[in-house]
Amino acid sequence: MHQCRLILWNIVLVYENINDSTKSLSLCLRLFYRYRDLAPQLVPLDYRGRPAVTLPYGLIASMPELKDNPFRQRIAEVFSERGDGNMTLDDFLDMFSVLSEMAPRDLKAYYAFKIYDFNNDDYICKSDLEKTVNKLTRNELTPEEVSLACDKVIYEADVDNDGKLSLEDFQHMILRAPDFLSTFHIRI
Amino acid sequence: MCTWVKLYLQHLLWLLDSITTHTVMLVTPALLFHRNKVLNEITKKATHRGAQPSCCTQCLQGASFRRLGNTLSEYFYLLWIWHKALKIIGAEFGTSVLSYFVFLKWLLNFNLFSFLMNFGFITIPQFLAAEPNNLSFTGLELFTGAGYFQQTVLYYGFYTNATISKIENGPSYNMQLAYIFTVGIYFVICFLILLFSMAKSFCRNFLNVQAYSGNASKLLCTWDFSITNEKAVKLKQKNLSTQIKVQTTEGTKLMFLRIAIHLFAWAASLGTAVAACTGVYFLSINNLKVRPRVWALLPSLPCVGPAVDAVTVLDFRNIILKMSIVGILCYYWLNIVAASESQCWETLVGQDVYRLVLVDFIFCLLGSFFGEFLRRIIGTTVCVSLGLPEFDIGRNVLDLIYAQTLTWIGILFSPLLPGIQMIAFSIVFFVKKVSLMKNCQPPCKVWRTAQMTTSFMFLLFCPSLVGVLSVIGVTVWRLKPSEGCGPFRGLSSMYAAVSEWIQTLESYTASKWVVWIYHNLITSELFFFILSGIVLIFAYLYWQIIRGRKTMTKLLRKQIINVSLAFSYIFCIIWLLC
Repeated sequence: MHQCRLILWNIVLVYENINDSTKSLSLCLRLFYRYRDLAPQLVPLDYRGRPAVTLPYGLIASMPELKDNPFRQRIAEVFSERGDGNMTLDDFLDMFSVLSEMAPRDLKAYYAFKIYDFNNDDYICKSDLEKTVNKLTRNELTPEEVSLACDKVIYEADVDNDGKLSLEDFQHMILRAPDFLSTFHIRI
Repeated sequence: MCTWVKLYLQHLLWLLDSITTHTVMLVTPALLFHRNKVLNEITKKATHRGAQPSCCTQCLQGASFRRLGNTLSEYFYLLWIWHKALKIIGAEFGTSVLSYFVFLKWLLNFNLFSFLMNFGFITIPQFLAAEPNNLSFTGLELFTGAGYFQQTVLYYGFYTNATISKIENGPSYNMQLAYIFTVGIYFVICFLILLFSMAKSFCRNFLNVQAYSGNASKLLCTWDFSITNEKAVKLKQKNLSTQIKVQTTEGTKLMFLRIAIHLFAWAASLGTAVAACTGVYFLSINNLKVRPRVWALLPSLPCVGPAVDAVTVLDFRNIILKMSIVGILCYYWLNIVAASESQCWETLVGQDVYRLVLVDFIFCLLGSFFGEFLRRIIGTTVCVSLGLPEFDIGRNVLDLIYAQTLTWIGILFSPLLPGIQMIAFSIVFFVKKVSLMKNCQPPCKVWRTAQMTTSFMFLLFCPSLVGVLSVIGVTVWRLKPSEGCGPFRGLSSMYAAVSEWIQTLESYTASKWVVWIYHNLITSELFFFILSGIVLIFAYLYWQIIRGRKTMTKLLRKQIINVSLAFSYIFCIIWLLC
């Protein structure tokens, strides 16, 4: 009984310190158990000492929510600490909380931009767009069609006329696409 | 069913395990103390800046409110079943089909709220003052609503008009006032909830949006991350590539053909609508009830080319037909049944609504059977070129709105109708889900989910709720309640209960303020005139502010382009000079 009260006090104290409204205790616990289920022998139950456990990209990409997503590699690279797709528990939590329905639009737009920016230069240039289109269409289009589609996108969305999309252009485009909040969403 | 029970138990075991092995204590500091600075900054900026649309929902979205709401909703374990079902549907069919099931769940919650209100405030007190039921129960009453059910709390006629008090000189419960105030306050709450949901949805999905979503947003913003089924992903990729191919080569001939087909379909449907309405009117005059479902047999537009605009899929002809049928039935009930010499006309209307709800529910299930199951059999064995059917979101949502309209009309005459509708909706949810999984393929047409959801809310508000409010208004203010049954027997109108109560209050000095509010605010036309004037002034001001901001945006965009052009000219000149 005394232990139960201790646990409850602990939960309340920790909960009051949450500085991020996208997380809730239940979601975090669920995500921890999903992370642990990927490799039970690697992930300890006791996280007080902040153990440096990193799961390889192969395990993350085998999750049923991600295994058929054409952008799974970019998602894992964007959220992993070193950009190689291997994720710690913190990275894993960040990833699924950004992709949950509680994350604000700006946060989702920021990470969607990073996912589509293949060469990590803070701009979505034509080559990034071509790679995106190929992933979206499973390489079924001819190079000319891909090039034409990318030119149309840049013509429409580029506000400052520099031939590539910056984060502001992308956010401006997101404002005009109300479906984005519901499509950039993975349920866990 | 077994998968849900298994997952539900698994989740419960996880939580028990974490509490008993103190995993919560071991893990939560790591889980919740954030070390990602970027995430922190953006989250802070997003919650403090007024970047979201400046509607009054800004104050409702304070961080702590949202956190509390999220936590509460996650800890309703009963919702776990819905969560898993919705996840599976979203994973295989995407957010467009998911929006139908989310809408259905929302209507279910609505009906639960109205059932609890009516049951708590009207039915439970009635149980204390109930008269014994002398009629016998045969199974047929479930289908006709008459017979044994006439003398139960299901219908208006059974409720007493007395003031119930169990203890001598103890607190008493005035059934007349309870009935009219419960129904009135319920509709006011419905009105406000729908108004605010619609406003919030409209702000988010329509205000900043272009009339036509261009290529940019189609490529970068519409990939559905919630689809996790391999076949569905491949299908979506194929559709997207066909769309891009067509868009680079589309001509005007295809557009004209599409317009011609639509005009013909409209003319045919309007003709059918007029014929059906006249038929219903004459049949109900002769006391026969037939529900024409001819329009349901009109096939929905097949996947004709991927560039078909999804907004036209929403069948406005369906809406017009259904609303006109409901309108004619209301006219028949209020003008003919109410004026007839029958003993208890409100109970008769209640029975009619009950039967309509039941028939609508059966037709919904049959529609699923014929439209999806048989169509799949035909598409896979007899006529293979047709293929698997698609889930017709527009038609199904309109069926839901129609069912909800009937429930709202029936609340005054049959207070427990929302409970019946709740059971019906739950059965429809599971039947539709099973039918979807086994018979349908993922949609190939583009479906603008957010805007369609706003349109559905708008339809639920404007023809549906507003129409019901006018019907209820006419019933309460103008019609004479029947003499021998119900809580308003003997009065000249249902509203007379309130005016009589105010008259009795006038003799008490402690409640003079209530009388003053009633005479000067509720029944005075001047007050409503002033209120409408103020609301119109505010609406006009907001409209002008929005117009001004749009002009500012256009000017600023032009400035950005001019400045960047100027810089490029300057660099060219410098390069030439050097």
